[in-house]
Amino acid sequence: MSAPPPRPSRPRLVDPELAARVPGLRRVAVVSLTVGALSAVLVVVQAVALAHVVSRSLLQHAPLGAVVPAIVVVGLAVLARAALHGAGDLSAHGAAARVVARLRGQLLRHALTLGPAWLAGERPGELSLTATRGLRSLHTYFARYLPQAAAAAVIPAVLLVWVATQDWLSFAVAIALVIAVPLTMVYFGREATRRSERQWRRLGSLAGRFLQLIDGLPTLRAFVREAQGRREVAAATEGVRTATMRTLRVAFLSALAMDMIAGFGVGFVAMVLGLRLLWGELSLQTAMAVLLVAPEIFIPLRRAGAEFHASTEGQAAAARVLEVLGTPMPSGTAPDGSGPPVPARPAVGTLAMDAVRVEYEHRGRPALVSFSLQVDPGARVALTGPSGSGKSTVLSTLLRFVEPDAGTLSIGGRTSAEQTAAEWRSHFSWLPQRPHLFNATMADNLRLGAPDAPDDDLLAVLGAVGLSELMANLAGGLQTPLGHDGLTLSSGERQRVALARALLCPAPILLLDEPTASLDPPTVTRLAPALEPWLGGRTVVVAAHEPVLLPRFDTVVALPGAAAVPLAVSP
Amino acid sequence: MLAEPGTPYARLALAGLLGLAAAAATIGLLAGSGYVVGRAALRPGLNAIVGILAAVEVLAFLRGPLRYEERLVGHDAALRALARWRVWLYDCLTPRVPAALAGWRSGDLLGRAIDDVDALQDLYLRTLLPVAIAVGACAIGTAAVGFILPWAALGLGIPLVVALVVPAALTWRRRGDEEMAALSGTLTAQVVDALQGAPELLAFGADDAALRDVEALGRRSDMLEQHHARLAALAALVIAGCLAVALAVVLALGVDAVHGHHLGQVMVAVLPLTVLATFEMVPGVPPAVARSLAVRASADRLFALEDVEVPVHDPARPARLGPGVPEVSFEDVSVRYGPGLPRAVDGVSLSLPPGGRVAVTGSSGAGKSSLVTALLRFWPLESGTLSLGGVDVELLAPHDARAACALADQRAQMFAGTVRSNLLLARPDAGEEEVARALRAARLDAWVAALPAGLDTPVGEDGVALSGGERRRLAVARALLAPGPVVILDEPTSGLDLQLADELLQGVLAAAGDRSVLVITHRAAETERCDVTVALEAGRVVLPQA
Repeated sequence: MSAPPPRPSRPRLVDPELAARVPGLRRVAVVSLTVGALSAVLVVVQAVALAHVVSRSLLQHAPLGAVVPAIVVVGLAVLARAALHGAGDLSAHGAAARVVARLRGQLLRHALTLGPAWLAGERPGELSLTATRGLRSLHTYFARYLPQAAAAAVIPAVLLVWVATQDWLSFAVAIALVIAVPLTMVYFGREATRRSERQWRRLGSLAGRFLQLIDGLPTLRAFVREAQGRREVAAATEGVRTATMRTLRVAFLSALAMDMIAGFGVGFVAMVLGLRLLWGELSLQTAMAVLLVAPEIFIPLRRAGAEFHASTEGQAAAARVLEVLGTPMPSGTAPDGSGPPVPARPAVGTLAMDAVRVEYEHRGRPALVSFSLQVDPGARVALTGPSGSGKSTVLSTLLRFVEPDAGTLSIGGRTSAEQTAAEWRSHFSWLPQRPHLFNATMADNLRLGAPDAPDDDLLAVLGAVGLSELMANLAGGLQTPLGHDGLTLSSGERQRVALARALLCPAPILLLDEPTASLDPPTVTRLAPALEPWLGGRTVVVAAHEPVLLPRFDTVVALPGAAAVPLAVSP
Repeated sequence: MLAEPGTPYARLALAGLLGLAAAAATIGLLAGSGYVVGRAALRPGLNAIVGILAAVEVLAFLRGPLRYEERLVGHDAALRALARWRVWLYDCLTPRVPAALAGWRSGDLLGRAIDDVDALQDLYLRTLLPVAIAVGACAIGTAAVGFILPWAALGLGIPLVVALVVPAALTWRRRGDEEMAALSGTLTAQVVDALQGAPELLAFGADDAALRDVEALGRRSDMLEQHHARLAALAALVIAGCLAVALAVVLALGVDAVHGHHLGQVMVAVLPLTVLATFEMVPGVPPAVARSLAVRASADRLFALEDVEVPVHDPARPARLGPGVPEVSFEDVSVRYGPGLPRAVDGVSLSLPPGGRVAVTGSSGAGKSSLVTALLRFWPLESGTLSLGGVDVELLAPHDARAACALADQRAQMFAGTVRSNLLLARPDAGEEEVARALRAARLDAWVAALPAGLDTPVGEDGVALSGGERRRLAVARALLAPGPVVILDEPTSGLDLQLADELLQGVLAAAGDRSVLVITHRAAETERCDVTVALEAGRVVLPQA
């Protein structure tokens, strides 16, 4: 019910652009066309053998023995067709699974390589919808629509050619009706789209209304308005029904046209054959064979018509996937993530940013202008400044989520350009401003940057960030699932889990973005000494409004407020 | 539940009959065509075939409209049933949310319940109707063949039974549907997780591992899908085998009967076409059975929802709440959400006298919101006494207890509609002046004035998008508008800057007038505006000390 209306598009088997860029699509098309052609041949074999039996019996009262071979051929042809279709379907399913798995991998890899800056510009949820539901409809397109469409393209053609060799008048009737198929489909399709677009919009909002009422039930109960909500649920679903029925009345018209064409295909051909037999212009053998073939001309057309929406949905999904894959990669990234192996122990050295300029698209002024920073190994640096002064941009640049428009980054003299992004990032551990916790266990979340850390270390670092009490209350201990984005934790707990995760990762440079945002001052005071053993001799960069978390910093870098940054000069 | 009164049986029966008529028309069309061709071959003259020829054309014409009507009536019946089930789901959820289904909410299980209810309409459209019509069509075809040549009915009937039963049984017993549904959910969750957590994955070099996990899930799902595709191919092969046998046997019997002069020779042309037409609906049965597996899974999940115990029941003879502002009194109240769980509220005593201002503070998880849950009777007390105006709440009808309260909490929902309709939810008969006063108190008057259509501006998808702060203040205004004399504000100012927060609280406390106010907050400055502050920790009162 929730499928969008099929958009009118030129019906064609495979979009050529799509075929050129999705591996395996052409192969599915070729296999499907071959299966269709062979199947059509089997239809003719079956019809001719059956007609032979009927003709011999009807006209000559032939004994059973005389027609047994032909009967066996009929049975074998039926079986062979089924086997052929089965094999074709399985092959299409396999190919669909392979293509979709590959595209899913490529899509996610590409999205991750494009990085957080690109992801932030995408509409939330849309990309994941493409990667899941979109690819699902692509699977349907490959596994179901494509074989049907190929059958619809080749079977009627082969059968019509054969009918033409048998009886030109039947051929004329059949071809006229076949030509009517696309014409009526286009007409009704357009009509349905035109008349139903508004309806679908209304439908969507009615469906959303139900969801909202269910979601808002606690609020309705709190105000003792359950009865009003119930009335609205009933009204909304009744609205869905009437709107849907109005839409379906039009949407089913193309199926009606298809059914009637197929019905007349048989009825008219039977009439033509009957009359020509009466006039002695045709043999029974020929007439019977043509009559048996006639319905088979229309069956594939009908099936393909029924799967038509799968085609538009699938092609739209494919186009979206290709659009993402076509987004150019930022420089210095290995396209498939398979760069040289990342060293287990990244080098330690002076971290330097030299005259870095960062400009975001669609923003009037640059986020950073000739920003330089030098951090010696083991140094503790506070980056301070008001919101919008570029603190997070500095960290994003260091993590190479943002490529600077000018300037260089280096660690121990090796510039970022000399290293893959993965290699470069292995120098850093990071506490983001809004940390994401994964829908996994506490242990898995903590081990994100330290896959081999033993349980003891996990418990120790949780103690250091003041979460021992929380752990004591978690029934599953380290194996407790945290829910989607750490749903089961409070925001303060989430931030501390993320801090623990950052501390556990053995990288030599720690980047901490607003590490105390969700914590109250007494907690922060208690935290500082406990963190010390985990910081060790590592380099620490803390970005915050003011120097926080650590009792003392070697350097405090104050980023000027937004107003102090020179405005971009337009050329 | 699936056979609840009000299921549109008449419409379903009509759809089934229409479908059956369409199937019969198909059989008649093909059999009649065979008759026309067979008879004409004997060259009896036009008069002999003109009647049957006309009948064939009528059937050719009828089939399409019959199917069209069947589809429409069937969808209408399914949608009517859906409307009932949606109301059923609403009724089923109402006494259980939010507290009894707290666990369901977290996993988006409610969203799935909604999908499940939607899936139930497949029960009729894609399961019962196609199977019933296929079985009926088989009976009609077999009867027709039996009418022509009695023995041939067995030759068709037995393969038909095998073709209906064996593939259906193969499909019915297949495994992996549940795992596949679960996998698809997990896969979606993993992809969303990986994309949302992309910065962390990249920063910690964990991206490859995450992608490998997604890949493994996809592979497992593909494997199950392939397994099902193989089963479907096998089912199709069985059906084709039965068709081949039926065709061969009926044809052989027909040829033999014609040879022995037991049967008019024209019928040998009719028989094979009847067999082919009869088999036309059979391949639709295995997919219908597969669909029924999904429907069954959905129904099972919905039943599980009904099995969740309703936490609070109406007392047999509810007591009445007196007029005026009732005193709220918690005496040694404990709340526990489940047998194995720690107490969310542990022996709390506190009193909110009429017109009083009480602040409750504490870190998250300290039990602040559970006090509200208990007061609104969403969850029962484990022990202790909670009274409203001197009456034990357990003696009151739960909706009376709720009507005495006016709640603005973090989860306050705004519904599609206008700003005004959302406010009036609390008090449908509120006057213009009362609405304006509530908006002023919540510091929203300037915001509303700036909206394109003022109070009548739509909110949400097709109107103005509410920011978190606006939503919260709108909830506060709504609570002030509500007739309940006990105003409960759960974190009314979180997300607002300090100055606005202070203004808001000041305005709200002033607007509350004679009413009592319970403020749940974590900001120290806000507690100063209240008469009493109660601090909770791990469900216990830590301040003031007993």
